[in-house]
Amino acid sequence: MQARFLTGVIDGAAVAEALIVDDDIVGARQRLDIYRHNYRASLTGVLADHFARLLAYLGDEQFGRVARAYVAAHRSSTRNLRYYGGEFAAFLAQNFPEDGELAELAMLDGALRAAFDAADVAALDAARVGALGDGWIDRALSLHPSVRLLDFRYNSAAIWSALDGDREPPPVTQLPGRVRLLIWRCGQQPSFRSLSMDEGAALDQLAAGCSFTALCARTIAVAGDRAAATVADWLGIWLADGILVAAD
Amino acid sequence: MSKTMPGTKDRNTLAYPGFGLGLRPDHYRDFLDGPQPVEWLEIISENFMVPGGKPLAMLDAIRADYPMVLHGVSLSIGSVEPLDRGYLAELKALAERVEPLWVSDHLCWTGINAHNSHDLLPLPYDAPTLDCVIDNISRVQDYLGRRILIENPSSYVTFRASDRSEWEFLAEMATRADCLLLLDVNNIYVSARNHGFHPHDYLVGLPAGRVQQIHLAGHSDMGDYVIDTHDADVCDAVWELYADACGLFGPVATMIERDDDIPPLAALIAELDHARAVAARMCEPYYV
Ligand SMILES: [Fe+2]
Repeated sequence: MQARFLTGVIDGAAVAEALIVDDDIVGARQRLDIYRHNYRASLTGVLADHFARLLAYLGDEQFGRVARAYVAAHRSSTRNLRYYGGEFAAFLAQNFPEDGELAELAMLDGALRAAFDAADVAALDAARVGALGDGWIDRALSLHPSVRLLDFRYNSAAIWSALDGDREPPPVTQLPGRVRLLIWRCGQQPSFRSLSMDEGAALDQLAAGCSFTALCARTIAVAGDRAAATVADWLGIWLADGILVAAD
Repeated sequence: MSKTMPGTKDRNTLAYPGFGLGLRPDHYRDFLDGPQPVEWLEIISENFMVPGGKPLAMLDAIRADYPMVLHGVSLSIGSVEPLDRGYLAELKALAERVEPLWVSDHLCWTGINAHNSHDLLPLPYDAPTLDCVIDNISRVQDYLGRRILIENPSSYVTFRASDRSEWEFLAEMATRADCLLLLDVNNIYVSARNHGFHPHDYLVGLPAGRVQQIHLAGHSDMGDYVIDTHDADVCDAVWELYADACGLFGPVATMIERDDDIPPLAALIAELDHARAVAARMCEPYYV
């Protein structure tokens, strides 16, 4: 019975109408339509909420069409709506390959949303590093659970920022190379910034559990002695922003 | 003239905490900035089943100043499938964090075969469903180590399989499962309009000694039917029904449940004050 009713709600199957009492005023079909509408509205609503900048970019009507297509293709199998839009960026990339900025805007909205309520782990800051003593530089490091690294091919970050500030977004342009973005939670505020190739590569190594000593050695091996000062500058920023954690 | 409080003989409820509101992110700042004339707060459990960040930080900070109750939407107590152990574990962990006055969910099911409707789907009111619901409530109560509250949902359909009224179903369920009731007065009004029963019959059919909490909310009137949207003020007919409930049940923890078009906190407190006034007028005999 429950399986039949749910097919009636999700797929609109008419067979569910036989389960319920019909009447002359509202009717079985219209009564079930209330549940059908609720289902789609709660899922498209959560997408609109979680992908707010993409919604601003596309406008209500176009976003609504895309969101309904995603809902039609993705039955919800999660108990918590927080996870429902997990495949939305991939869906956009697949269905709108000519408009690469759509998937990128969704990825950025999604990563910021994930950073918002990511796990609370104490990040390393100057005080904690001081308390760990000199030995800390040899300890394995890792990135805070709120951190995501995204590689973009379009100026989607600039479009996102304009939309977030209620300004007219710049026209889409494809970038000469890839740009890497760091997304993290700064205090309680989800934030992002772009990274140089070198800093991006350094964060990849830290994500893999490398120590600060090992990071310095590798960076100097690639870029020469002068890079030591750059790594020290990065460290100051990482500690201030709270993106590093001790891996052990 | 004094009057015996209804259900005194077989009163099963916990202590009466007064009047509350549903805690919504729009009002975090108001609750952090200073004391508000609200005796307790209800949180939607699922909104705090997240790894960390601002939701949990706000929860802990506001919990320090207000008693709370947990209200869930995903327990799926009427599901023919086994209860979701992962969800129950998260609920128990949240209850340990919040130490709520009580924990509630709805008389409904939410999905099957790994598919979720994210809605409170209706149940047929018959003997097999009753057995299933009672069995599930007992498991949840054993697991959480406390009695739970079950809320009457708004519904838009009646199953052909139903052979009793919703209030008869709830009354037998509460007694046999030894659980408590969360009475949503707006939902009674909505379902009464949608199914053509008299809401007073509903109220008198319930076990007064098990009504622990009341929800008041707004809805959308579509003419031939009514939809439970929780996006508007409480309407006059629901206020009248609330007065009726106060007369029958005596003082019951009451709150305004607003989920959409959230107004400034002051507007909800004004609505809550109206509820206080109705309750004071209707419950006065019990205090004399
Ligand atoms: Fe309710």
